[in-house]
Amino acid sequence: MNADELLARWTAPAKRRVITDSLSLALPLVLAPAAIGWRLSGILVAVMIVVIGAAIALLFARHRAQRYDQRWLVRALDASRADMEDSADLLFADPAKLGPLEQLQQARLADRIDRDSPQSLRPDWSRRATFILWIAALLVIGLVIFWPRPGHGPPTLAPSTEALPATPGIPRLVAQNLRIIPPAYTGLPPRDSASLDTRAPVGSRIEWTLRFDPQATVPAIQPVGSAPITLRRDSANWVASRSLDASFLYRVDPASGRGPTPPLHRIDAVADSPPQLRALSPAASLTMVTQGQRSWSPVFAATDDYGVAATARLRVTLAIGEGENVTFSEREIAISGSGPARDRRFSPRLDFGALGFGAGGDMVVQLIVRDTRQPAAQEVRGPSLILRWPSPKQPESGGLQGMVNTTLPAYFRSQRQIIIDAETLIKQKRRLAPDRYLARSASIGGDQQILRGRYSQFLGGEEEGAPEPPTKDSEQHSDDDGHDHGGAPRQSAPGFGAPEDVLAEFGHPHDDSPASSLDPETRAILKQAVDEMWQSELQLKQGHPDLALPFAYRALRFIKEVQQATRIFLSRVGPELPPIDASRRMTGKREGLASRVLAVAPVEGRDGPAAAAWRALGEGPGAIREPIALDSLDRWARDQAAHLPDPLALSGAIDAVRRDPACVACRAKLRALLWTAMARPPAHLARRRPADAGGARYLGAIGGGTP
Amino acid sequence: MTPAWITAALLGVAVLLGSVRLILWHRAAVAPSLKRLIALLLLQPICAALLFLTLFPPAISSGGDALRIATKGTSRLAIAGGPLILLPEAPDIGAGERVPDLATALRRHPGTSEIMVLGDGLQPRDVESAKGVAVRFDPPPLRPGIRHIAPPAIVAPGASFSIGGQLSALPRVTVELLDPAGQLTDSVQPDVDGRFILTGTARAAGTVLFTVRVREGRRTVEQASVPVLIADGPAPRLLILSAAPNAEVKYLRRWASDAGFAVTTQISAGGGIALGDAPIAIDGATLRRFDAAIIDDRSWAARRGVLMGAVRDGLGLILRATGPIDAATRGQWRALGFGLAGKDGVAPLALPKPLTPALARTRQGIGSDDVPADIALPDEMLPEISRLGLTPDGGGDSVPLLRDAGGATLAAWRAVGNGRVALFTGIDSYALTLTGYRTLYGDWWSAMLATVARAAPGMTPISTPAWAGERMLLCGLSGNAQVERPDGRMASILPMDGCGSLWPDQSGWHLLRKSGDSPPTPFYVQPADALPMMRAARDRDAMLMLRPPAPGDRKATGQQRPGSSWPFALGWLLVSALLWWLERARIGRTVAPQSAK
Repeated sequence: MNADELLARWTAPAKRRVITDSLSLALPLVLAPAAIGWRLSGILVAVMIVVIGAAIALLFARHRAQRYDQRWLVRALDASRADMEDSADLLFADPAKLGPLEQLQQARLADRIDRDSPQSLRPDWSRRATFILWIAALLVIGLVIFWPRPGHGPPTLAPSTEALPATPGIPRLVAQNLRIIPPAYTGLPPRDSASLDTRAPVGSRIEWTLRFDPQATVPAIQPVGSAPITLRRDSANWVASRSLDASFLYRVDPASGRGPTPPLHRIDAVADSPPQLRALSPAASLTMVTQGQRSWSPVFAATDDYGVAATARLRVTLAIGEGENVTFSEREIAISGSGPARDRRFSPRLDFGALGFGAGGDMVVQLIVRDTRQPAAQEVRGPSLILRWPSPKQPESGGLQGMVNTTLPAYFRSQRQIIIDAETLIKQKRRLAPDRYLARSASIGGDQQILRGRYSQFLGGEEEGAPEPPTKDSEQHSDDDGHDHGGAPRQSAPGFGAPEDVLAEFGHPHDDSPASSLDPETRAILKQAVDEMWQSELQLKQGHPDLALPFAYRALRFIKEVQQATRIFLSRVGPELPPIDASRRMTGKREGLASRVLAVAPVEGRDGPAAAAWRALGEGPGAIREPIALDSLDRWARDQAAHLPDPLALSGAIDAVRRDPACVACRAKLRALLWTAMARPPAHLARRRPADAGGARYLGAIGGGTP
Repeated sequence: MTPAWITAALLGVAVLLGSVRLILWHRAAVAPSLKRLIALLLLQPICAALLFLTLFPPAISSGGDALRIATKGTSRLAIAGGPLILLPEAPDIGAGERVPDLATALRRHPGTSEIMVLGDGLQPRDVESAKGVAVRFDPPPLRPGIRHIAPPAIVAPGASFSIGGQLSALPRVTVELLDPAGQLTDSVQPDVDGRFILTGTARAAGTVLFTVRVREGRRTVEQASVPVLIADGPAPRLLILSAAPNAEVKYLRRWASDAGFAVTTQISAGGGIALGDAPIAIDGATLRRFDAAIIDDRSWAARRGVLMGAVRDGLGLILRATGPIDAATRGQWRALGFGLAGKDGVAPLALPKPLTPALARTRQGIGSDDVPADIALPDEMLPEISRLGLTPDGGGDSVPLLRDAGGATLAAWRAVGNGRVALFTGIDSYALTLTGYRTLYGDWWSAMLATVARAAPGMTPISTPAWAGERMLLCGLSGNAQVERPDGRMASILPMDGCGSLWPDQSGWHLLRKSGDSPPTPFYVQPADALPMMRAARDRDAMLMLRPPAPGDRKATGQQRPGSSWPFALGWLLVSALLWWLERARIGRTVAPQSAK
């Protein structure tokens, strides 16, 4: 047995003992705070305290155990065993470094050491401390468990605050408690209210516990405007309960109307609000598919005052196809959220392959969540998010963008611009694919066509027919060429937005066209320009911008010549309507036409009782200092409850004034509330006062205003 | 060169020589003390200055026979000086003659031609008697507070009204208007002069107190009640003439009949066909039955003679444009006195920024089944409404009445005989009612109608501010009148020359009941401690209107005379003694010279 094994064998029992001892000391110290944490903040906090406490306890135990090392063992052996002869440290010395005598002693000791077991060196339990700590911890845990919770057990009554004068023989409310038990789904604990006014969630159970002095015989709870709630005798107290559906005012009547009227109390029902739903990502409602994307994970956040149901439905609408061949499919996927009940996150992962979503399609998702309200949950639909996978075709034809492209207004390019475009294209020829080159050349050819059509107009559209054969010398054209009177000229598709062509298409605008105002020379030059444009267009559309350039240049030169020769104006004014012929007005048939009376029924102002009571409560004219009859106002307030900002407060204020007509503060409060309960009528007029004699003379003298 | 100058020069030379001598003496001394030298050098010029002042004491100005009147806020230092009269509100400053009022003081001091008012100024009680003498008064600066509030005179039910006011010495504050229920109705920042205008809305007829609150951050600096008297007048009889059926007439008719006006609408549909109410003949006799008429430009052209005749008779006329007007109409309207300036055609109309929903709801009150509350909340869509490019404020005799948010005049009016004519240049104003701006629509049209409509007899408001415990004047009384106090007690008023005095002893709404059975006139009396700065400013302004002493008066009465030289002589004596002692005293000197002797 070497020294290390010896050390391990002889210190292990002591270490084990000290660790066990430490843990038994630490356990009550962890459990008591955990119990307090559980009572105050729930199981989560308790678990956290236990975990942290256990970690600290283990560290502490390890630290204590580390003291039981070789030095301790040597000292303990020397102290406890006489047969070690105060030389126990020789057991752990390196034999190679020892002298012969020391080696002899070491061998003797090694023989003797096993005469006693290592258990004898274990430290004793710390019994006293463990006992005290456990007793204390058990006390704390017992207190935590059995400490009364608010809302459970018999209520503690609070003294009444109604401050009614005591009348001998008539019962009076002396103590009260209001217990509010919210519906289970809200997760709110029951609570006690010392006051008889409170706010509680809709659906809560309200329990009154009341005590009267002297003991009442037929006390009742009188809600304003509904049936009384009966009170039940429960030893010295009276109890009643009711489920809260809507806010109400009530008074506790201890003596069925024999005593003074007690004040009103108010219980407000707080309605459960529907969940709030918003999309966290993506931020915009329209998202484009990125290159290589295979799935989509929108993230929604749902918040509610009590809790959002853990599962929600995701409505996925797919629009697949292009143009008119679009098919829609709709499905609903159940998804579950994460996070606390009041603020849940929903992040579904939508796999394109599984859904069948492909290029050129739209995916619209909408989350539908419910809250936990009982009996009927409230359902809320969130915003729609659109994911678009653009079609690979050019230009983009996905949805609106494609439409925008086709509906872009056509515009004319000048001849100079066509030349510039063609030259640019020639320069880029090497870099472009042949089909792309052809397409762009053809598009410049289209511009050329539109421009030619425009200039043809000045020639009466006749140049739309056939171009001069390219073999013929174009400089030799004369007036007579291509003058075709037979029928409308063939019209090439003018392209959208070229309204001038309509004229040429639907008529024979020979004489009406602006060309009739041109002199023959100009017409000839213009014709040559148009012919050159024909050739240029031909070459461009065949993909030879280099061959088209000479024609284009020539066309430009002719146009410049025309511009120098004369000015051409394009009519840009709108339609000019002919003047109205007054003599022909109203000369048609007039049977059944006659003067009529158009009736108009004014909207009635409806705050009559409110305004009357408001005036009566004031100090000005119409004020009544004596008690005021408030019945009509009360009825009116009940009818108009939907429009009033706080109908219960108004009812309460009416009741207060009725109870104590001389109370100045109550009257002022009711008057202030009535101001908020009145509509602003359509403005009447504050008329000016008539001038007195001098003023009238003055106004007559200055006269003025001669039309 | 005056004797004073010569003396001063001699003293200066003496101080110089003395100093030189001191320095020489110091250098020659056996055991020089630097401290003593410095003290001596400093005391010599002081000694010289005191001697000079003894010989030529500084002049003090005396008020001649000016009587000094101590009022509220007089400083204790005012004891020094001439005779002092203490008015009842003056603080007890130890000396002076107590009098019950200024008139008594002037009677006791006959021949007084000038008084000098110390402190905050005279009370309204004494201002009258101070008119006979010249008053010297240096007004103290106004303390921070509400300097003035102008409540609206009479507000019609449902109308919106403005409360103007001015703050003194309160930069960077917010002024808020609270309605009688304590809700915020308006909140503005005053301009650099401290002026502000707050807007509120009335409900039913009655008396009500709004509250103006001045806040600096979250702290309330001052708040005051503003009395608003809401009283309904007789409903006007309104004639609407239109040359064609259109939406503007339809909505105008709807608005006016909902407001309770007696509306007669005549819409010509052409060819002799008339729509609207039963046809009436438009002549002087018919028009006399109406209080106001709203006429479009096309109807106006044909009937302007008879209409203007009716206006001279008292009718109120509102001319409105249906679109761009032609040259003839423009000329006619210019001839009426509206200086139309600007471009022809139609211009966009700048609408004011909509109120926040909370403010809009507070001003609007509750809704009903027919008119929900949110109908008056502006939509996101802006109404399509425009105005004539011509604005009626380019000269002429007209008074601007409405302006749009861009400052362009929308409406103006002028008096013609007993009646008034207004010109409204807005086009298609009905679009306001369709987009949630119905309150603005109502404000515009009721402002125009209220300005021009035929005069009607009614209540004359009492607009002078009054405070409890202060005399107030009630005028316009034909016979004996009675005032009902807030607690119901009556006070009789015996008027002289149509005016009578009242000493209200409590704050609140009072009712003035005149002889006859006309309705009582309510007026509000502020609590004695309310609006202290407004009261101080009123008294101060009254003081400043009193006759100040003319330059001629000053020469006769306020001459300069030399003051007393005794204090200076005493000071000179003390300083000289100190000098002598410093030169001669043995303290601080070493005794060595003694042994040398």
